[in-house]
Amino acid sequence: MRRRLAAALRPAAAIGGALAAMAIALALLGASPLAVAADLADGAFGNWIAFTDTLARATPLVFCGLAVAVAFHGALWNIGADGQLVAGALAAGALGPALGGAPHALAIAAIIGAGGLAGALWGGLAGWLRARRNVNEVISTIMLNFIAAQLLSWAVHGPLMEPSGAFPASRKIAAAARLHLYFAPTRLNLAMLFAVALAAVCELGLFRTAAGFELRALGRNRRASAFFGMPIARLTVGAMALSGMLAGFGGAVQVAAITHRLYETISPGWGYEAIAVALVARLSPLGVVPAALLFGALDSGSQAMQRADGVSAQLVYVVQALAIIVMLAFDASAGGGWRELLGGGASDAPDAAAEARDA
Amino acid sequence: MLETRSISRRFGRTLALDRVDFHARPGEIHALIGENGAGKSTLVGIIAGRLAADSGQVLLDGVALRAGVSAVALRRARIAAVYQSPMLFERMTWEENLALGGFAAGASPRALDAVAARARQIAAAAGFELPPPRALVADRSVAERVRLEIVRALSFAPRVLILDEPTSLLAPAELKIFLAALGRLRDAGRIVVLVTHKLAEALAVADRITVMRCGRVVTETRAAESGAAELARLMIGALPDAPARAPRDPDPAAPPALALTGVTLVREGRRVLDEISLTVRPGEIVGLAGVDGNGQAELVEAIAGAVKLDAGSIVPAPGGPAVAVIPQHRDRDGLVLEMPLWENLMLAAPLRARFAPHGFFGRAAARRFCAELLGRFAIRAAAGPACAAGALSGGNRQRLSVARALAGAPRVIVAHDICRGLDLGAAAQVRRALAEFAAAGGAVLLISTDLDELLECCGRLLVMVRGRVRETAPADRDPERLGLLMAGAAA
Repeated sequence: MRRRLAAALRPAAAIGGALAAMAIALALLGASPLAVAADLADGAFGNWIAFTDTLARATPLVFCGLAVAVAFHGALWNIGADGQLVAGALAAGALGPALGGAPHALAIAAIIGAGGLAGALWGGLAGWLRARRNVNEVISTIMLNFIAAQLLSWAVHGPLMEPSGAFPASRKIAAAARLHLYFAPTRLNLAMLFAVALAAVCELGLFRTAAGFELRALGRNRRASAFFGMPIARLTVGAMALSGMLAGFGGAVQVAAITHRLYETISPGWGYEAIAVALVARLSPLGVVPAALLFGALDSGSQAMQRADGVSAQLVYVVQALAIIVMLAFDASAGGGWRELLGGGASDAPDAAAEARDA
Repeated sequence: MLETRSISRRFGRTLALDRVDFHARPGEIHALIGENGAGKSTLVGIIAGRLAADSGQVLLDGVALRAGVSAVALRRARIAAVYQSPMLFERMTWEENLALGGFAAGASPRALDAVAARARQIAAAAGFELPPPRALVADRSVAERVRLEIVRALSFAPRVLILDEPTSLLAPAELKIFLAALGRLRDAGRIVVLVTHKLAEALAVADRITVMRCGRVVTETRAAESGAAELARLMIGALPDAPARAPRDPDPAAPPALALTGVTLVREGRRVLDEISLTVRPGEIVGLAGVDGNGQAELVEAIAGAVKLDAGSIVPAPGGPAVAVIPQHRDRDGLVLEMPLWENLMLAAPLRARFAPHGFFGRAAARRFCAELLGRFAIRAAAGPACAAGALSGGNRQRLSVARALAGAPRVIVAHDICRGLDLGAAAQVRRALAEFAAAGGAVLLISTDLDELLECCGRLLVMVRGRVRETAPADRDPERLGLLMAGAAA
């Protein structure tokens, strides 16, 4: 129990360490670290609007963080959550305007389902390339990110452009397909609840099912998985499709709840930030939720900080990056986990060890 | 003269070398022979400075060499070693490789033409051919790579040339040329130490032979005065005290539980499995003897379904629940060290099907089953089923692998080197478990380099040499005869 508590505290310690480093840097630059911290916290949690904004900012990070965590458990380095999210948003934005006649529940199911399906195709494509053609998924998912971004750009300048043709944006989705903002004027909606439910499903799926077990075994020892006859190709494609689906859901709910239409810049890079989120969460699906909240809070607080202290909002990216580096460098977590996974050499190292033993 | 005085070296709890005295004189080819794990590679590693000895000395012409000396110091002492697997950069040309290896001291490493010219000079003197100019190492055969390594070693004009199993990958025709070249080096007054487990080769080429077994020098003898049978006995150890157990008689009419037909696997242009056909019937323990590296690991991979065959067929189909495989490298191929013990059991498909019948694990039941298995097989795990597999000792990991294979209730068990590294009691326990499995109608293919083990446990014996498997006659059923067959002697 104490060990579990210590494990949960480690990411917090890393963030704390990164914040401490930033505090020193701020002090050297002449700003008051305490004032900056207070404004940051105030911007993120200071009032009801700020708090709900933090939740809304965290929501796509939960979806993408889950996508990354699931894939990384299988040692599938999905860097393409951003493209998969864009694919999901594109499908949702394309389908949304046509859902006018449908009942609300059906329209919501259709728009989110379409987003998930598009994301699954986008991620599954990278999985198929890996399984059948041995294309490194790091490369293929990054390339697919570019393609998705350009597809979106083409769509909002071309076939999906709003009727006036004045703005590079799509038509608004039908009212029936919009996720309600129950607490207007805040942006609070049901998407966060959906994301938390998905996190629980991922946690169960990874740690309680045979398929999740096979994926984790594959990620930790590919050779043993082959020796025990696991369907490696099927697992690879399935995990990447599932990962893409989670990110695609994120894109769809963003369109359904927040933007209601497509823009070129629908994602500010959530898919990449999600890698940091998943790492801070130590690849635990349930841990992704608080990690995403933290990153969302930094995002929304940074605006207030910039206004109040004249410190660039970009500073929070430095904090986030420092937190990751601190964790990677100092968290020699007991019994493996993502540190070994990220090391990448873990699957090859036993060869050398075995050779040394046999010598 | 090269000599070692009372060298000892321990790896963990294994005493790899036990007060080893070894002498090699100038102008002779000295063969160091022994089975896998006898300590040969450790000894040459210490002589070559790659490993440090726990105690004892290495002397060259009466001068002690410091332990753990750097490559530079070794060159000064003029000891050059060629190791089992060539250490070359695949994606570079052979000239670049030689230049990087400190070839041709004095020449600029960039002057590749000079390197090539000098290499051809050395190669011509040794009777070698070199690859065409600017050829990539990746495209060259294993034999050519070994020759490159030797040319590099010779470029230091070494007093001592150590060759660690350089011939295990050479084809017979290449081998002949290579061994003749060794003779020329000897005649030039060099000390050549040839490490090998091939008895015939040692007898053919060496002047003196040192036999090692279990970390000790068993004997040193002149090649001309020793017979193959006697050396084989010395290599393999005392004959088993008890007479070999009478081979069990399985029902010859019963259909085989495992049948391989014409199984062929090609890797890097070499047929590592060469039209292997064999059967194992229910109730039978078939032994597969052979020197390590003759295709046994690939055979196990093929039966497990971890590789795709180039030809042939295996019944039952690989990857199914009927066959349980216990791989040789249990950590690399058989366990997920970060996962708890009970999850490691679930790697076996039949157990996964049993404890996750509808895709969801009954974790409590799986843990209880694991705890029971730990007790039944006397696996010592401090934290029980939740303990990570990596926290177990080697012997306990091995027992876990065996327990898992048996628990899946397969029809066939393929066990590769399962008693390596186990103490006598644990090994006996593992063998008894296999015998009981066979007595209950299971079929076992036991792959081992340990002849005593095979003679004790198995009915029919097969021998694997260079990717081929052949049956042995009942008359072959003794260690000397089998040792010769393993070394590639004609039937």
